[in-house]
Amino acid sequence: MPELGPVDYAIPGFLLLIVIEMMWSARRAPEKYEPRDTLTSLGLGVGSTVAGALTGTVVLTMALWLYEHRVVTIGWQWWAWAACFVLDDFNYYVAHRLGHRSRWFWASHVNHHSSQHYNLSTALRQTWTGFFAANFAFRIWPVFIGFHPAMIATCGAINLIYQFWIHTEAIGKLPRWFEAVMNTPSHHRVHHATNPLYLDRNYAGVFIVWDRLLGTFQGELDGVRIRYGIVRQLGSFNLLWAVFHEWIGIARDVWRAPWRAKLHYMFAPPGWSHDGSRDTSDTIRTRWQERQDVVPAE
Amino acid sequence: MLFQLVQLAVSIAAVLLLALLAHQLGLGGDVRLRSEAQARDEAAAALGGFDAVEVAVDRAGIGALLRDAQGRVLLLRRHGAQFAARLLDSHSDTRLHQNFLTIGTSDPSFGKITIDLGDRAQVWAASLRRLGA
Repeated sequence: MPELGPVDYAIPGFLLLIVIEMMWSARRAPEKYEPRDTLTSLGLGVGSTVAGALTGTVVLTMALWLYEHRVVTIGWQWWAWAACFVLDDFNYYVAHRLGHRSRWFWASHVNHHSSQHYNLSTALRQTWTGFFAANFAFRIWPVFIGFHPAMIATCGAINLIYQFWIHTEAIGKLPRWFEAVMNTPSHHRVHHATNPLYLDRNYAGVFIVWDRLLGTFQGELDGVRIRYGIVRQLGSFNLLWAVFHEWIGIARDVWRAPWRAKLHYMFAPPGWSHDGSRDTSDTIRTRWQERQDVVPAE
Repeated sequence: MLFQLVQLAVSIAAVLLLALLAHQLGLGGDVRLRSEAQARDEAAAALGGFDAVEVAVDRAGIGALLRDAQGRVLLLRRHGAQFAARLLDSHSDTRLHQNFLTIGTSDPSFGKITIDLGDRAQVWAASLRRLGA
């Protein structure tokens, strides 16, 4: 039997927690789940593991090659694990922020956001096209300074497992000290919201401090109904459309665009257009802000 | 390789079981538009600041047509336990049959919807022709 990773061991726990949340939802708020949406989310999760298995060897080969040319050898000390985890979480923040601010990376990340629901099954809406978008480049570079590839892979897996439980509306706000440092269900609900104030906020994986330090934090406001999903909702439960719709959109736009705009349609923020006919999250937020009488506060 | 295939088969079986459980538990519910005000709220959320001046809600509450002061027409339709919307840019996919309007959009993946607008269906069908083909 092949060696299993941390995520493999966590999957039965994921499924059990989804069942528990479904039963909570059935008693308290049946509309929090939608069977077809759940099927799409879980299908995306399974497909993502297949895509990961198919491309993982290539990423591992690249990481091992980089490790052979490392600057120093850091080793397996406890502090190396701690440093690696913090560095990997920062790298996740950077990759995730770019995943929302550049259409190329957004195309591979959008399927995580395209559900209009926010529950534990949403956490499993993982990408099939991350390798194609080259997302791994943001996570493997620390092997070059001397962190072992297995250490980085383990830290990345623990990061992914941590992020599972925060995809829920069943948990309100947690103690202030925890909300101040860690990513929580409250912070991540904001991240998945399409409300103009909440767009492109809270990119953190495990530590919310990155958002607080780098000016992308927004707290969840009491009394504001959160709308989940993407600015232009899919309106479809089709699994393949959920995976590829943004890539198809890029291809169509690049084909039709004037030469000077082609690269922009690939790498500019989602919603950018050469004639200003579409909305980016910045223009949506600016318009919304103009309609408000008061500046919102946390 | 065999182990990975078994793992994949078990994962697919688990996915189908969870979806079946969600169905058996009655999750999703029966979400409807209960009023014009709700349709306005949904439209404003779907298209930032869409301020409807005219609203027609399907008699069963599964969809609505809304027009703003600029003459833009928004189609709102039920999508599972939520609502999704598209601005209409043509009437070529619109069909009228008595009180029922069947409306498509330029986005095929969004699908078509047939809504019952009662005696307002003909007025809306006529006004949609102004959107052009």
